[in-house]
Amino acid sequence: MKQIINPFLFGKAILYGLLLYFIYLLLLITLQYIPINYEVAFLNLKQEEIKLTHYKWAFFGHVFSSIFIITFGLSQFSKTIRNRFAFVHKWSGRIYVLLILCIGSPTGLIMAYHANGGLIAQISFSMLSILWFVFTLKAYVSIRKRNYKQHKNFMIRSYALTLSAVSLRLFKYGIVSIFELPPMDTYKIVSVLGWVINLGIAEIIIRTAHQNPSSISES
Amino acid sequence: MKNQIFTVVLALLIISCNAKIKDAETQVLVEEGTEVLESGAMTEIQNVSNDIEVEVSSTFVDSTVLGFWVGYFQEDFIGNYSNKTLYVDEAYQWNRDNKINISIDKVSDNFVFGHSVVAGNKRPFSGKVQDGIFQVKEPGDDQYDGEFKFEILDNKLVGKWTAFKNIDIKNRKYSLEKRIFIYDPDIQLEKSKKYINWYDNLNGDEAEIENENVAEIEDENDEIGEWFRSEYASATTLIYTLNASNTLLKKEDVENLKKGDITIIRNTIYARHGYSFKYRPLRVFFDAQSWYIPVHTDIKSEFTEIEKANIKLLLRYEKNAVAYYDYFGRG
Repeated sequence: MKQIINPFLFGKAILYGLLLYFIYLLLLITLQYIPINYEVAFLNLKQEEIKLTHYKWAFFGHVFSSIFIITFGLSQFSKTIRNRFAFVHKWSGRIYVLLILCIGSPTGLIMAYHANGGLIAQISFSMLSILWFVFTLKAYVSIRKRNYKQHKNFMIRSYALTLSAVSLRLFKYGIVSIFELPPMDTYKIVSVLGWVINLGIAEIIIRTAHQNPSSISES
Repeated sequence: MKNQIFTVVLALLIISCNAKIKDAETQVLVEEGTEVLESGAMTEIQNVSNDIEVEVSSTFVDSTVLGFWVGYFQEDFIGNYSNKTLYVDEAYQWNRDNKINISIDKVSDNFVFGHSVVAGNKRPFSGKVQDGIFQVKEPGDDQYDGEFKFEILDNKLVGKWTAFKNIDIKNRKYSLEKRIFIYDPDIQLEKSKKYINWYDNLNGDEAEIENENVAEIEDENDEIGEWFRSEYASATTLIYTLNASNTLLKKEDVENLKKGDITIIRNTIYARHGYSFKYRPLRVFFDAQSWYIPVHTDIKSEFTEIEKANIKLLLRYEKNAVAYYDYFGRG
């Protein structure tokens, strides 16, 4: 028991550092659209769609809510915050759920219908937003019923899908750097891998936590 | 332990991510003479751009002399001028030869008027013809002006050129063929041997590099080599099939194109119009096309409506590719 640095603590610090870094990158991406700009980044490729009023609302609603959703979700898995600052957990959880159910997921579904990359991407993004909605709602309903275990499991799934905002872009960067695939081929691939892998990891975390109840509270 | 390995891998990934979400600095090159004008500005320009027109003269004995003479403007090694061949890459070399178009516009009595188009430069010349020998001079107010001396031999325009000023390549020679320029939107890019040789060698045995020969490497070397490495090498075979002059391109046609594809497809529009490229790598690339004739330095008013729309679309995707393709983001 003479450890100077707790490896779990160390791993945790790095994990949170990483997440913060990527949220920072997402923030940079989001800030490109302020002031409202149709000629930048992703919108460059959505010139036809951005003319549609409903797409305009969906896009900006999605972009500006997502950055808050991912940030409010970040602290929710900390045991310390849950136990010592229960009200922080409760309130940021409420905002997280509300933003996903009312803005993030529905706007995501509208955008999925107009997605670049054809049918594969359209189906994949639609499934993503529907599952995101369902998992988040289930997590909320289960905590209302004081079913803590189910709440935790569904929140792990929900946040795994939230993190697809990061993983999709990270996979895209990886594929482009290593295989130099054409842009739309890359996009089709990451539209699926971007959240399926996350959900796979979430299931592994849930299952290992089931066998070894102490480990989940560490992460 | 697993956790640590995982974090180290992720940390490495992040460092390689370069903390950037876009490339805000690299610009897509659009030469001044190829800019697409808004329809309002069109009429104004048209008056200006028709500076030199081909006039057909009936007074001259042999009218076959009139017109475009096209071929390579090669360095002529006289005296102390050393061989400045550029070894662009292991196998590809550029001898600093540009395709030239010597246009003889008017011959009346012994007086000759015309212009030359080479390397993005259009210069008028005038002079005399005596006993079949043409001797003409450029105005002299440009650094690269000089004097042409040529004759017509076996249907070829053969001769030399000497610069007035003491520039890098002072003497040039040429043997040009008579060509007729007609804008043809259906022309497709050819698979030039030059590119293929270059590409094969790039991917082939690197041990073959003879470093002793690579004595002279200049900035120009890097520029062309870099272009072929980044643009041409990354392009797909779509550059030979997608035609942006005769087909109105849709979003679906361009959204999966790589940056190199888009650049080449867009610039092929300019090449069809006989645009003389200032940017050296593009010049080397299109000079190698047998159909390509440098005719204009300004084609702003030449684009068809299809081309205007396509250029706009292609530029949007090209700029996006430059800014976002290999960065953390969606685009």
